[in-house]
Amino acid sequence: MTDDETRLREEVMGKNVGIRAIRRRSTLIIIAGIIVILVMYVYSLTMGSYPVSFQESFHQMIEIITTGGNPEEMSGKVIFHLRMPRSLLVIMVGAGLAVAGAVMQALIHNPLVDPYVTGVSSGASFAVILISLTGVVATSLASVWIVPVAAVIGAVLAFILTMTVAESAGGKAMSYVLGGTIIGMGLSAGTTLILSTNAEDMHRITDWMFGSFANTSWEEAILCTVCISIILIIIMIYARKLNMMLLGEDQARYLGLDARRFKRNMLILVAVLTAFCVAFCGVIGFVGLIVPHLCRMVIGGDNRVLLPTSIVVGSVVLLVADVFCKSFTVGELPIGAIISVIGVPFFIYLMVKEGKRYAL
Amino acid sequence: MPSDGPMLEVSEMAFSYSDEGTLKNIDFEIMPGEFVALMGPNGSGKTTMMRCINKIHKPSSGKIEIDSEDIMELSMGEIARICTTVPADTAVDFSLSVRDYVALGRSPFIKTIWWEDEKDEELVNDAMWRMGIAHYANRRLHELSSGERARVLLAKGLVQTPKVILVDEPSAHLDIKFKVQIMEILRNLSRQGLTVLIASHDINLLTRFCDRILLLSKGHILKYGSPEEVVTEESIQEVFDIRVKVVVEEGTVYVLPTGSTRFGVDGPLN
Repeated sequence: MTDDETRLREEVMGKNVGIRAIRRRSTLIIIAGIIVILVMYVYSLTMGSYPVSFQESFHQMIEIITTGGNPEEMSGKVIFHLRMPRSLLVIMVGAGLAVAGAVMQALIHNPLVDPYVTGVSSGASFAVILISLTGVVATSLASVWIVPVAAVIGAVLAFILTMTVAESAGGKAMSYVLGGTIIGMGLSAGTTLILSTNAEDMHRITDWMFGSFANTSWEEAILCTVCISIILIIIMIYARKLNMMLLGEDQARYLGLDARRFKRNMLILVAVLTAFCVAFCGVIGFVGLIVPHLCRMVIGGDNRVLLPTSIVVGSVVLLVADVFCKSFTVGELPIGAIISVIGVPFFIYLMVKEGKRYAL
Repeated sequence: MPSDGPMLEVSEMAFSYSDEGTLKNIDFEIMPGEFVALMGPNGSGKTTMMRCINKIHKPSSGKIEIDSEDIMELSMGEIARICTTVPADTAVDFSLSVRDYVALGRSPFIKTIWWEDEKDEELVNDAMWRMGIAHYANRRLHELSSGERARVLLAKGLVQTPKVILVDEPSAHLDIKFKVQIMEILRNLSRQGLTVLIASHDINLLTRFCDRILLLSKGHILKYGSPEEVVTEESIQEVFDIRVKVVVEEGTVYVLPTGSTRFGVDGPLN
């Protein structure tokens, strides 16, 4: 073997490439991600109208955990009752939307696809508007739960509608995009009509529609965390099969995967995941569309690395945006808009820098 | 375990999309290590035939056996472990590297949830090395030329350690050198014991490299045999509806199109 060949062999098959390298990268991202999320979490607890320092908030968090949720000081109470559940929900929604977007783009083979493409967000909004027409939202004691429950039901119903249309049109990925877009348009039109004829009572609902994490309770945060975590774990288990789907349905079948059934099951999972993401905080754009692209540009398309990375980046991005929203003294800003304001310049920078290498 | 019987045996097979018969009375067998071509005009059923063999389509009657096993008794995963299909080209998006792509060929064999093991890794490296794409391993798929990508597709087929390899139009958009290269690779693989079935429109390459040619016409087999037997002026004219001259030089059959279609000099556009 010549020197050149030896060098090439080392370069191609050495320790720094191949499956070991991918595994190492994936583990590193998961560990670093947990640390970054934890630090950001504690930092997010310091922000808000009542000032708390970083050490103080860390100290209070430890105390809350050791006393089982009974802090004595004022800062501890603020952190425990207002900020901890809110930031927990932010993390879970960020992670959920980013993964939903990554999976959706892989299944549909289309870069412009986000988790809402199958009509789930329009369905959720329409259901919330409908339920608020009845007046129960303002009067009932159970109103805290009515909006999220309506949102989840609306989202899932809209997806079932889309799936029915798409499957009877042949079940191709593009049928889902087209079906979802049409169903979404119809539902949005309904929402607009109701809004324009009942403009006065709708303030609470428009808050929800723009996306907001204000007034998150522990019950909401925990319910969301459990549901989103379970779905995320299931999706992660299928990361390798998702890689096969990147080749297109035909080639996935050549590799022995029942591509059509797999695609349908994954779409259902993503729809439910997205439903839980919008249920409590409303429809937040950008994360589900851009975060997966961002991660793919930097670390490549292998879902075994991409999905953990999306979880980390999605939750951190949404946390940063939420901190930004909270730090404004004159009322809260809609987080959906903030996240785009921060994200768009950064994405443009990456697109210009990595664009040539990146094909999607 | 090498068996003495045919590697691929199709008997009395028929398939139709709707009422129209797409394939009928399909009967043929391919011995282990043979390099066989599916030849026929567009719509004659070449791709459909391949899709029946890898069980993407289910034949309406008849039987297909790979290595003496009825494919209807096998799961998609089991078929993927003995029979690989190499497509004409692949989607190049999603930033997959050449190595990622080739490694996906191991999917039918992976027992764990996520990761390939050392043996998979070795097969992937070996296949990339054999196909001469090792130095592209970390490049992304869309950065390669068509000729290089064709070899990546073949490498992915090889890591599936198949007994039968189905190749659909491998050289459709390659230049003449890469067309020959792909055929040489396939012939070498068949000499090493792999059974290769290729569908292509490059008649002259098929006659030069393949052991036997299966001539399809409107969903049935018109002729099956050595290139000299199958490729004659009469048969090509009948199947492709164009006059040709067949020349045999140093044992190789060459087909030259000499006739014209209805758009020729006296055609409607003149």
